Amino acid sequence: MTDTAQRRFLRAALPVLALLLGVTAITALVALLGNDEMALTVTEALVRLIVVVGLSVFIGNSGVVSFGHIGFMCIAAYAAAWATCNPMWKQLMLTGLPVFLQQAQYPFWVAVAGGAVLAAAVALVFGAVILRLSGIAASIATFAFLAIVNNVYSNWDSVTAGVSSIIGIPTVVGPWTALAFALGAIVLAFWFKGSRFGLMLRATRDDPVASRASGVSIVRVRLAAFVLSAFIVGIGGTLYVQFLGVATVDMFYLQLTFITLAMLIIGGMGSVTGAIVGVFAVTVFVEFFRFLESGVPMGDLVLALPEGSQEIALGIGMALILIFRPKGLTGSRELKLPGLGSSRRAMAPALTTTEAAARS
Amino acid sequence: MTRRPTMTATGVEQSQAASLAAQGVSVRFGGLTAIGDVTLGLEREKILGLIGPNGAGKTTLVNCLTGFQRPTEGSILLGGQDTAGWSAERFRHQGVARTFQAGRLFKDLTVVENVEVTGTGMGLGRRQAHHLAMELLAWLGMADKADIVAGTLPYTDERRVGIARALFLGPAFLLLDEPAAGMADAECDELSQIVLDIPKTFTCGVLLIEHNMRMVMGTCDFIHVLDSGRTIAEGTPAEIQRNKKVLAAYLGGEGEKQLEMAEGHH
Repeated sequence: MTDTAQRRFLRAALPVLALLLGVTAITALVALLGNDEMALTVTEALVRLIVVVGLSVFIGNSGVVSFGHIGFMCIAAYAAAWATCNPMWKQLMLTGLPVFLQQAQYPFWVAVAGGAVLAAAVALVFGAVILRLSGIAASIATFAFLAIVNNVYSNWDSVTAGVSSIIGIPTVVGPWTALAFALGAIVLAFWFKGSRFGLMLRATRDDPVASRASGVSIVRVRLAAFVLSAFIVGIGGTLYVQFLGVATVDMFYLQLTFITLAMLIIGGMGSVTGAIVGVFAVTVFVEFFRFLESGVPMGDLVLALPEGSQEIALGIGMALILIFRPKGLTGSRELKLPGLGSSRRAMAPALTTTEAAARS
Repeated sequence: MTRRPTMTATGVEQSQAASLAAQGVSVRFGGLTAIGDVTLGLEREKILGLIGPNGAGKTTLVNCLTGFQRPTEGSILLGGQDTAGWSAERFRHQGVARTFQAGRLFKDLTVVENVEVTGTGMGLGRRQAHHLAMELLAWLGMADKADIVAGTLPYTDERRVGIARALFLGPAFLLLDEPAAGMADAECDELSQIVLDIPKTFTCGVLLIEHNMRMVMGTCDFIHVLDSGRTIAEGTPAEIQRNKKVLAAYLGGEGEKQLEMAEGHH
């Protein structure tokens, strides 16, 4: 075999590196050349990128759609809000918080780690219960989870300030911080996909029965991905509130669930590349319609689309993708660099192609 | 064939079980009896044929023997130990492997990844699983197709990948569910040779469900015949070929012709 481990590694690592560079280049272009508003847009897009990549760790590899991950984002975001928001305000408004949170203000890193770990811990407990269900039943249960989280956080006034906002969170997240975490999330997602757990999980997606005959415990591998994806989505949540400076329960509900799932579906559910492409494609699409909604001056006239057409257009866009390209813009394949094709196939091209042709 | 694939790996216990047996097994779905009171046993290094018309309960019996179906009555014994309550994964960990009638490959994974899954399922890391999977593919003459996505494979290759998946780390028992279905004669002979090589190479017992009589008669040491969920005959290929009950109840006119062909072939 001439296909050494080193070459295999290179073949796997180079496309990932290309994607990291691509995301970095887009961020740098917008952050350095664009105006302040564009910097905000790209920061938000990067936070969403983290969330969507986190979603793809579970959904892409397991084939089980989760509607509940924004619930994990909510849990992590509130944890970060509790950790970082002004203690004076907390003592006044969040009287039910434990003392260690109420009276202190923790640094950024602690908030990110604490929020993500809390989300992962909740995912471990909740996942252990629902992942025994078959695919579609598990999906419905995740939706119920989202509703439960929303309900609890809307009504637990002494800890979450109910439906009103938690304010006074230091806004320390800009495009570069968001970029750093987004790159980390992408690397983590690729690592998991290629790991033994990722491989087993993809096998359960393709054929659950055969995967059991191969000795794979479906619940165990699904649970591993569920916890990791909740962790990544949780990081997105902690960054989001430290980007906006406020936390409100309704930020983490149906609208965000819809747009992040739309990003994943439009890009291609089965690949990390798809998650990345989906986020940028939908962001550009939405920004374009937002621009049209705000009105385009044409001589004396100002042409503007009615408000809400952005959402409708996104819905139509997603429907079209589902009809004509069900595997998304990327076809759910990972990025492949030209010239880096499989060396093994290159070794015996005549044999495989003629044989395949003869048989088909 | 190339050298014998590795059958041991650190951290993975080799099954010591000398037999796999169904003891008075019945499976009922509601009022329907899929199999009734069937007793059969597999031994290491022997090939047992399981034949019978469609709907005789052959696959149901294999499902029982691999943990995919719980018997309504009776028990499955592995090395004399009762397996009640074992999951299908546990059967594989304990050395009982199977293939499926429909292939059931992981279609979006490559050929070598399909085989690797068993390795990772048994607890190996990917690097080691990959190495052993390549050995197995080489043994089956498929090393050149390792990087092809399984969903695009031709039919006959699909079967071989299924067998490679099941052979990972040399199981104690291998249950093949119609591996030759839809194959042409030449491909069938090639497959027969592989099936014949498996017990010697892997010191494992094989159960073969197959409709192709030439293959069954040419490979099996012993044959068990089911009809409508009941055992109607057991014996060596020669005995089964002369068994009037089998000929009448199962094979019919068409079967007799096939049997004559098979005899001529010996």
